Amino acid sequence: MKHLTSVNRKAARMERAVTADPDVVALQRPGGGPQGPHIPLGCSFVFSPGWEADSSGGTAGLCQPVERDLFDCHSGCFWPAQVPDQLNHAPNWTSKCANAQKDWRKIDLVFP
Amino acid sequence: MRFSGILLMLLCALGSAAQTPAPDASAQEAAKQAKEKQEGRDPQADDGIPIDNDLVKQQCGACHRSDDKGRMSRISYRRTTPEGWQQTIKRMVALNGVELKPEDARAIVKYLSGRLGLAPEEARPGMFESERRMIEYKYAADADTERTCNRCHSFGRVLLQRRTKQEWELLVAMHRGYYPLTDFQAFRRMGPPQTQPGPDGRPPDNRHPMEKALAHLSGAFPMKTAEWAAWTAAQPSARLEGKWILSGNEAGKGPFFGEVTVRRNDSVAAGDEFLTEIRYTFARSGQTVSRSGKSILYAGFQWRGRSSAGGADELREVLLVERNRREMSGRWFSGAYDERGLDVRLVRAGSDVLITGVGREALKTGSEKLVIPVHGANFPGGLTPRDVDFGPGVTVNRVLEAKPGSFQAEVSVAANAVVGRRDLAVAGVVKESAVVVFDKIDGLKVRPQAGMARVGGVAFPKQFQQFEAFGFHNGPDGKPDTKDDLDLGVMDVQWSIEEFTATFGDNDKEFVGQIDAGGLFTPAIDGPNPKRNNNANNFGDVWVVATLPNGDRPLRARAHLLVTVPLYMKWDQPEVSK
Repeated sequence: MKHLTSVNRKAARMERAVTADPDVVALQRPGGGPQGPHIPLGCSFVFSPGWEADSSGGTAGLCQPVERDLFDCHSGCFWPAQVPDQLNHAPNWTSKCANAQKDWRKIDLVFP
Repeated sequence: MRFSGILLMLLCALGSAAQTPAPDASAQEAAKQAKEKQEGRDPQADDGIPIDNDLVKQQCGACHRSDDKGRMSRISYRRTTPEGWQQTIKRMVALNGVELKPEDARAIVKYLSGRLGLAPEEARPGMFESERRMIEYKYAADADTERTCNRCHSFGRVLLQRRTKQEWELLVAMHRGYYPLTDFQAFRRMGPPQTQPGPDGRPPDNRHPMEKALAHLSGAFPMKTAEWAAWTAAQPSARLEGKWILSGNEAGKGPFFGEVTVRRNDSVAAGDEFLTEIRYTFARSGQTVSRSGKSILYAGFQWRGRSSAGGADELREVLLVERNRREMSGRWFSGAYDERGLDVRLVRAGSDVLITGVGREALKTGSEKLVIPVHGANFPGGLTPRDVDFGPGVTVNRVLEAKPGSFQAEVSVAANAVVGRRDLAVAGVVKESAVVVFDKIDGLKVRPQAGMARVGGVAFPKQFQQFEAFGFHNGPDGKPDTKDDLDLGVMDVQWSIEEFTATFGDNDKEFVGQIDAGGLFTPAIDGPNPKRNNNANNFGDVWVVATLPNGDRPLRARAHLLVTVPLYMKWDQPEVSK
């Protein structure tokens, strides 16, 4: 940004976003430095926090309520052995309930 | 310098001259193998088993081409259990548009499980998978392979597969195609390659986990094995008809004894399907159960059946029949998660005296007129106290209600009898460690130590968890948790639930569910609970506590219980027992 000067408000906002103190993000690593991609808490990319148990063997770290994140597990195929995947096995799994937190009674059990 | 350069060139020329194919056969074979390897062909490619069943050829042949030896692509290069084949057929129907009539699917599963099945030695280590047991399994042979596979599913599924190298590769490819995220979750190494040697000083292994797994699986679980060759050659008969003596144990209800009559199902020509009449009595409660059932014998030793008591209370049966055709054992189970199970053992009724067990295992010193029910078969008529021996310190006073299948021994236990296990001898036949003499109960243990239940009852079924409390004597050394401890069997305890503090103030014990007087935990309902923080589900960690009054010194023991999330898919193949 040394050779560029913001000339309009949008550019100024971009400049502020780059130079301001970084936001606090989920799964932030200690000690500052560049932070990785922002992963919203409650949705996991790898098998953490865990399905039945979290890494400590308990339930405190699980996604709660499970219905909040369930469709992420389905559409991204995060938990292929626990939740039906949208890719192949159950493309219409969510058709009866747009919002799992509200319509969770309509979620089907799938026999792959 | 120039001289050494010339020498090097000369040596190279000589070397390449030596590598030109020699006319002899071994060199030609080596060259062929090297070429095949270079072309990526599998040296196990010839290990396929020809398919000689018209139904399979007709139903699967449109996609799975046969070669000149009758081997069908993919199918001929893999062996597994009936459940494994059933799962594959289900996938073909669900994802590949196969249309099959149920009776054809059953016939195909039966054929493939026999033609391309497992030998008993191969199936036994993975019986826990077929028996749908929830156990903590550790695959000791290769930690990398275990981690790669059990990120998503039980390692039992792997143990029950035999494939050629290429088939293992194609299986990995199938996972990557159908479940693309497996690459990130398990199959590929994340992060930059290691450059430093490992702790053992060897160069770092930068293979992807799936490559390590493939290397292990194709060696440890190959298509062609001596066990399978021996089993297919022997082809033991399926003659299981007759009377079998049944004994077993159901968590929460205790030991049971009875008999099973097996008849051939004459409506099936092959003679590998059976009808059963089952009758047993629980030693603790005296409850008698009569069931009738049907079963199929796959590959000559894998019993898959189901039975019910008057149309209700259906139990699925998974048993392994021993090669001697005199014993079979396994699990009968039910429940939405197959969590309710009976461990069973069947011994063919012969003419010899057989002791299957006793109805009372723990004998307290100084007891008078203690009645011990003894169960088995072919007990001689006119049994007297002289024919029954419980070892030193235990005197048999009377034999009551003597029948061929059971009797009751009334005994006195000397006040100074030595504490320890005793063999039971009846008419010269011995049952080792049948009873235990004890003077006091030193401790209590709850089993399982780590239980799991799943919330349910509204959209999804509940998974229950049965707990049992076992009494312990510290043994001769007087110290708990040592090898000489004596297990005194199930105790009649009071059950309660206490908070396991993992998160402050979450008050799990108020939400997760209830435990009854018999130690059966029933979880609460599924769905978000508006009464909890953030509408959390009724999940939680609690202690399950057993208390035994035990005179003036109450004993307490506890186990961890995880009440957790339902499964939204059920990977199960109940069809194989239909």
